[in-house]
Amino acid sequence: MAKIFTWNQLFSRRQFIKGAAGTVLGASAGLGLLAPGKTFAGSSSSIPADSAESRGIKKVTTICEQCVWRCGVIARVENGVVKKLEGNPDHPNNVGKLCPRGNAGIETLYSPDRIKFPLIRAGARGSGLWRRASWDEALTYTAGQMKKIKDKYGAKAMMFNSTDNLSQPLFEILLKAYGTPNYGTQRSLCFNAMTTGFYYTYGVPQPGTDYKNCKYMIFAGRNLAEGISNNETQEMIEMIARGTKVVVLDPRFSKTASKATEWLPVRPGTDSAFFLAILNVIIQEKLYNQDFITTYTQGFDDLVQEVKEYTPEWAEKKCEIPGATIERIAREFAAAAPAAIAHPNWRTSNFKNSFQTERAIAVLNALIGNWAKPGGLIPDQEINTAKLGVLSHPPFPPAQGMRLDGVPWQYPLVPLSYGVIQTMRDNILTGKPYEAKGWLISRQNPILSIPERQKTINAFMKLDFVAVIDIQASDTAYYADVILPESSYLERYDGLVPIGDKIFIRQPVIEPLYDTKSSLMIYKELADKLGLGDFLPYKDERDLLAKQLKPYPISLDELEKAGHYVVPNFQKDYSKDFEFQTSSGKIELSSSIMAQMGKKAVPTWDEPPRPSQGHYYLLTGKTAQHSQMFTQNNRWLLEVFSENRAWLHTSVAAKLGVKTDDKVILESDVGKVTIKAQVTEGIRPDCIFMVGGFGHVSKGLRSAYKLGASDSALHKTVTDPLSGGSALSETFVTVSKA
Amino acid sequence: MTVRMGFVIITSRCIDCDACMVACRAENDVPIGKTRNWVKSSGVQGEFPKVKEVFQPGNCMHCEHPPCVSVCPTGASQKRADGIVIVENSKCIGCKYCITACPYDARFANPETGKADKCTFCLQRLEQGLKPACVQTCLGKSRHAGDLNDPESVVAKLIAKYPSRQLLTYVGTGPNIYYIDEVVPEIPEGK
Repeated sequence: MAKIFTWNQLFSRRQFIKGAAGTVLGASAGLGLLAPGKTFAGSSSSIPADSAESRGIKKVTTICEQCVWRCGVIARVENGVVKKLEGNPDHPNNVGKLCPRGNAGIETLYSPDRIKFPLIRAGARGSGLWRRASWDEALTYTAGQMKKIKDKYGAKAMMFNSTDNLSQPLFEILLKAYGTPNYGTQRSLCFNAMTTGFYYTYGVPQPGTDYKNCKYMIFAGRNLAEGISNNETQEMIEMIARGTKVVVLDPRFSKTASKATEWLPVRPGTDSAFFLAILNVIIQEKLYNQDFITTYTQGFDDLVQEVKEYTPEWAEKKCEIPGATIERIAREFAAAAPAAIAHPNWRTSNFKNSFQTERAIAVLNALIGNWAKPGGLIPDQEINTAKLGVLSHPPFPPAQGMRLDGVPWQYPLVPLSYGVIQTMRDNILTGKPYEAKGWLISRQNPILSIPERQKTINAFMKLDFVAVIDIQASDTAYYADVILPESSYLERYDGLVPIGDKIFIRQPVIEPLYDTKSSLMIYKELADKLGLGDFLPYKDERDLLAKQLKPYPISLDELEKAGHYVVPNFQKDYSKDFEFQTSSGKIELSSSIMAQMGKKAVPTWDEPPRPSQGHYYLLTGKTAQHSQMFTQNNRWLLEVFSENRAWLHTSVAAKLGVKTDDKVILESDVGKVTIKAQVTEGIRPDCIFMVGGFGHVSKGLRSAYKLGASDSALHKTVTDPLSGGSALSETFVTVSKA
Repeated sequence: MTVRMGFVIITSRCIDCDACMVACRAENDVPIGKTRNWVKSSGVQGEFPKVKEVFQPGNCMHCEHPPCVSVCPTGASQKRADGIVIVENSKCIGCKYCITACPYDARFANPETGKADKCTFCLQRLEQGLKPACVQTCLGKSRHAGDLNDPESVVAKLIAKYPSRQLLTYVGTGPNIYYIDEVVPEIPEGK
């Protein structure tokens, strides 16, 4: 009988803890993988290579994974130990800089809480009792359960979830080969409203923004100082330093707001009133670009009719921004055109009406004709990205059955690749339209990310089988039946990343510290055990990468050494910039698809709910020092952001008799948490804000366990029927002194 | 002219992301619970909605007249010829006089070594021609370091062009961090 361990016992077993730097897994591990001579970054590196080899020092160029932005990293490795990470100056996503999270990647690698070998559950689900398994046993067990589910209930009873990682294309191949329609990204918790809003206006889900030439920027949900997207954050700082006028709509005084020209503490859920009134002024005063509208758009007359009633005076009553301010901003914005942008944002106010907000923003940009103009919106770069070699594999079996997440049968406008993860969770519980039985989750933490945490845990409890791939015991891994431990990003390869005319590589900086594997190999070996090996036809990671690199005259060895490859004579093609992939081929001020569905086709006002007496809006957002639910166990980052607090306006705190760091109880319709208060003048008195991602329930995250409070324990499940976006801010709470 | 190493910090470019603090921890093996540098916030000032918040990064000021050096009984705390203030570990007896003497609270007792610990200007990097880790990683180009006496340096050019201030000048330490609060549209080219 195999020995059973609790988490604490697992982690305290000395033989699996990283040896003191350079002893147990020292020089031989680090240097053995890649001969030092071929691992130095290109000459453009900011770190000179001088006589480093003789001192056991090497530098390896790779890609960060402390968030999803994929910044370029140059790692300094001394005698097999990663000592320093620095930004790669040749990488467009960060041009030489790393954010706090990127700098803290070393702690992610050497965390004592890494999962060090495959684990199979040895007690009740969620009990935290495990036994060690070999890779062969863990993969055989996983594949066996997946086969059993497929044989008994059909492939559709198995769900596959993964979020934005470099090997996701291979994960998608695995799930399609298996034959399930049930694929869950976490996009519906993020920016479905933006991507669908822009998709149904421009045929482009996420246009870029030309910060470098922009003269007037309105942010209504892109907090780049705290939601760091490295190069964009840098560009924002330069833009502000250059004197660009920056208007921030946010009920909370964010750090972006503190750097902006103007902060407008908008009432939550009413951003679209602000934008509809801007449209009203621009149309009334004929400040739009008539030629652009005539040539490239459709539906202007309908828009004129619709926005007639949305006067600044009307909007002031809704959004509590003075009508005169709205008028002034409309005029200033139009005067700066086309070097003016109403930013597409990521999440806006997170209400059901966010789709309408995003549509109004998309249409506003169109009225001033900033598309493909300096300082305006940048068309999709898809066609201007170098193409990788592709693997050939047998045709996929047809995916049979409706999707559990309601796409498209409940959410006809939501693209299949986005999905609606909160509905997937709900339908596990309802058993409609059929019972889900198994879940394979790769690097995703639905227990902490989806609203109503308790419901998500209940859904897990209902399933026959749950397998999780992760580097650490996320809350979701904690409730799994089997954990397949992934190597950290500094120990593994992933699929190659083309950006424009460059191809970048994530490669191991050191050999894996523990008995872990790359996702590429976990997917591959799982496919083999499922009898689906032909779909992932590669021997190992380097074999796959060499195939991806095949169209180009460079070897994988050379790419590893240089860190990236520039495709010679790459011609950017701008000829399709004005071929809009919409039903009409034009920018749709009036959406054909909305019209077909019998909905109002132009942006319109949709009255949001507001808290009743004694209740507050609950707002959640980011901090620069943490990524979603992933980094709260990173001790270096806890040094700079130790836990989340509930922001209370001074007047609210005074009423409660609460000071900063006193504990308060927040209670919504679905949950209750205790959290420290942060008393501030930087928030509307009708709102309470907390940073998301804290309040972990996994005892395997020993630093983060029970630290702060989880927003998902409070969030109600409210879904925008158009975009599928989770309307997180339609949760209202009471607050009391603990 | 003698070399006078120091920092220029443009507060208007700081977003309080704390990358400088994490980069320093990695570069200098700073133990958990201690830090050699910081980003201080003014807190949200004013009354809703007329509020503001300012961020002020800092570290050892590498003072002209460093009180940490004068109180050191063993000569471990030293001001180098280039102006950088260091602790020579082999001479430090861990008496903590210097920690008390620093008006900027820039020093701490390293729990692992028992010695006084502080910003070294990343000497090990300077020797390789690299910028200090905090400067290298700064997303907003808020932090700059170099020879304040060299008119061709970025720091000297910034001080020449923009009004700057130092902290606690009245205590007479002659701090070598100069703060610029104004908007700086472009960082000058320089050493």
